[in-house]
Amino acid sequence: MTTTLHDSPTVPLPDEGPRAARRVRGQAILSGGLTAVLGAAGVALGLSAIFGEPRHLRIGWLLPLVGVRFDLGPLGGLFVAVTGAVSIAVGVYAVGYAQREHWARFPLVMLPLFVAAMLLVPAAGTVTTFLLSWELMAGASLALVLSEHHREAVRSAGTFYAVMTQLGFAAILLALVVLSAAGGGDAFDTIAAHADGISSGTRTAVYLLTLMGFGSKAGLLPLHAWLPRAHPEAPSPVSALMSAAMVNMGIYGIIRIDLQILGPGPHWWGLTLMIFGAVSAVFGVLQASVATDVKRLFAYSTTENMGLVTLALGAATLLSSYGANLVAAMAMTAALLLILSHASFKTLGFLAAGSVLAATGLRDLDKLGGLARRMPGTTVMFGIAALGASGLPLGAGFVGEWLLLQSLIHSPHDDNTLLALMMPLSVGAVALTTGLGIAAMVKAFGVGFLARPRSAAAEAAREAPASMLTGMTLAAAACMVFAVAPVVLGPLLTQVLAALPTVGGDAAAGPVLGTFLRLPGFAGSTSPGLIAAALVIAVLLALGLTRWGARRRPAAAVAPLWACGADSLSSRMQYTATSFAEPLQRVFDNVLQPDTDVEVTHFAESQYLVEKVTYRALLADPVEQRLYTPVVRAVTTWAQWVRRAHPGSVHLYLAYGALGLLIVLVIAR
Amino acid sequence: MSWIGKIRRAGRIVEPAYDAPEATVAPPTGVPGSLQLRHVDCGSCNGCELEITSAFSSVYDAERFGARVVASPRHADGLITTGVVTHNMHQPLLNTLNSVPEPRVVIAVGDCAINGGAFARGYGVVGSVADVIPVDVQVPGCPPTPQQIITALRTVSGR
Repeated sequence: MTTTLHDSPTVPLPDEGPRAARRVRGQAILSGGLTAVLGAAGVALGLSAIFGEPRHLRIGWLLPLVGVRFDLGPLGGLFVAVTGAVSIAVGVYAVGYAQREHWARFPLVMLPLFVAAMLLVPAAGTVTTFLLSWELMAGASLALVLSEHHREAVRSAGTFYAVMTQLGFAAILLALVVLSAAGGGDAFDTIAAHADGISSGTRTAVYLLTLMGFGSKAGLLPLHAWLPRAHPEAPSPVSALMSAAMVNMGIYGIIRIDLQILGPGPHWWGLTLMIFGAVSAVFGVLQASVATDVKRLFAYSTTENMGLVTLALGAATLLSSYGANLVAAMAMTAALLLILSHASFKTLGFLAAGSVLAATGLRDLDKLGGLARRMPGTTVMFGIAALGASGLPLGAGFVGEWLLLQSLIHSPHDDNTLLALMMPLSVGAVALTTGLGIAAMVKAFGVGFLARPRSAAAEAAREAPASMLTGMTLAAAACMVFAVAPVVLGPLLTQVLAALPTVGGDAAAGPVLGTFLRLPGFAGSTSPGLIAAALVIAVLLALGLTRWGARRRPAAAVAPLWACGADSLSSRMQYTATSFAEPLQRVFDNVLQPDTDVEVTHFAESQYLVEKVTYRALLADPVEQRLYTPVVRAVTTWAQWVRRAHPGSVHLYLAYGALGLLIVLVIAR
Repeated sequence: MSWIGKIRRAGRIVEPAYDAPEATVAPPTGVPGSLQLRHVDCGSCNGCELEITSAFSSVYDAERFGARVVASPRHADGLITTGVVTHNMHQPLLNTLNSVPEPRVVIAVGDCAINGGAFARGYGVVGSVADVIPVDVQVPGCPPTPQQIITALRTVSGR
């Protein structure tokens, strides 16, 4: 695919006036409403596919020769439902966001198209349909990333994303073509039926290629570099869609192709998934904990969460290949729960970050602060998202991470060196990830929203309009349900697990999601609902007792804020995101490789007196620098070399064409 | 394991606990044996600071009697002040006093804090602590010994 970017020298200003405002309003309602309706249809379709019969649809005329075919089973239904749910929240939110940010017509048109393309991917029943939907999704998302293309940073991010997504697509294309050739058909169920006859070499090649292609979409290391570039530069509703719904498609691809169709694979398949997952999780959260751009932080958090999902998938694969079906079902449930919870809190996180961006024009945490007073609604929403992302009880991510840890701890390793080595290491990786994740989220919430504003823009912030708050409330409600009552997901997950027989899909053996979360056959249970109830009761009790104890005390006096004896505090005395992360940056110096520089300027009169201290820190992605820079340089060198064959002479090009035709004719003779 | 031997050879070095002195002020919290103090150096020569430090050292161990020095006046039951009040420290002293929740106690340690001492009528001096804020307990001396400081603290902490 070729993308041509027209660099307009002047940015067309949004035309003001009541008529223009009404037009933008109408367009925003149409686009957002359509997105939400598509999302609702996706949820309904997904749920009906999970609980009812699998849905089939065949449109013969749409693609020449092969036609388009959709088969929606329980696994695809889950991903369609998740995508749909994210789209409902994003659609409602986009109504307000598009008006506030004066969106042009182009992104308004592309938004529902992107959602539609994403809903088609998990429904695809044949290789061609899958590739078509995948490419539609990639193209639509790229167009949306580039919707503010008059900024240089956006164009650079767009180029990066375009190259990586197309490289990933090339890998998937190659893998699926090889797979359908070996599997004797275009339809996924035909391939699945003939999967046993595929040679192990082909299986390995397909596995490695799909892992690369789908892994790059899911943001796994080392193909994660587009996430922290594209997510910050895309408009926030688009970031939410990409981060909460689109990256899931990478995971869907891995589950569908590698685990459901090709599986069960050899032991090393699960092992590779676990290693890639663990490394992505730890690296992602480490970068998130030192990031100062709030959307970049969330982008790295996506890499972290997809890493955890992949780790869980790998654990499920490895365990079921050793016959430990009970624990494998537990790990698989953890993976599915993590996908669901990540979709909910990441939607909310990006939408809340978008509200902040719309209100202040800032993404830099070091310049934010004091938003709790100015934007109370958005603050609560961001808090719920941050709690969910930190994986603590009462947060959306808790149940999934708890189950993942339980499955890793309970894995049998009596006489198996591989399991005995992998599982404790993974427990360590998950624990480190969760711990650093809490630090990252405390930083994002505490520095961004509490204390005093660090800039005039943050001081002048105003609360987001009602439609944006409504969109966020929808996502927050989903977060709270996952956090407090995961019991509602029980029947849904049982159905999806039953569709995955090769990865511990012994549905009866899966963990029981009731009021108490029980693990059949193992000691250990938790109850998020009871934890929440106990917390509420404890808070009420403490409040009541304090009131009762204070009934005879004199009335409270108002005293000035304690400022260490000085007259007042200033925002410069506060922690910034950079200073909060400084100890972590110091501890993980070898991994992060920060480029820091302290410059001290003295007064001209005396070198003992300091006039000013300048601190510069550049935290580039070390993987990107080490891995991508040489590759890009090599490609550029080759391109220079190949360029000699393109001197601009039409005669030569005609000769190339004739020569090419001649070769084809000779070979195809 | 040489440290065990060192402990054995050093023996008990804490000063003996004498009988509790007569109380001067009722404990501000209403509970004997708990006195949290915020220290304010209003312009001291640091002699009194050294003595306060050794009063809270392992030899004199003022914490045996319930007195503690805390970091924030919000956590404190009173102030322990040293030195004359200089112009620069006048307002911070008042701010700190206002930040201590009532009922509170003010302990002035050293001659400077009581009457200006050697620095009285200096060009940068507002006056003694007693001139600026109401003082409840005075510990005379230039500087007072740790034992004197502890005795004064015990009259407030009630232990």
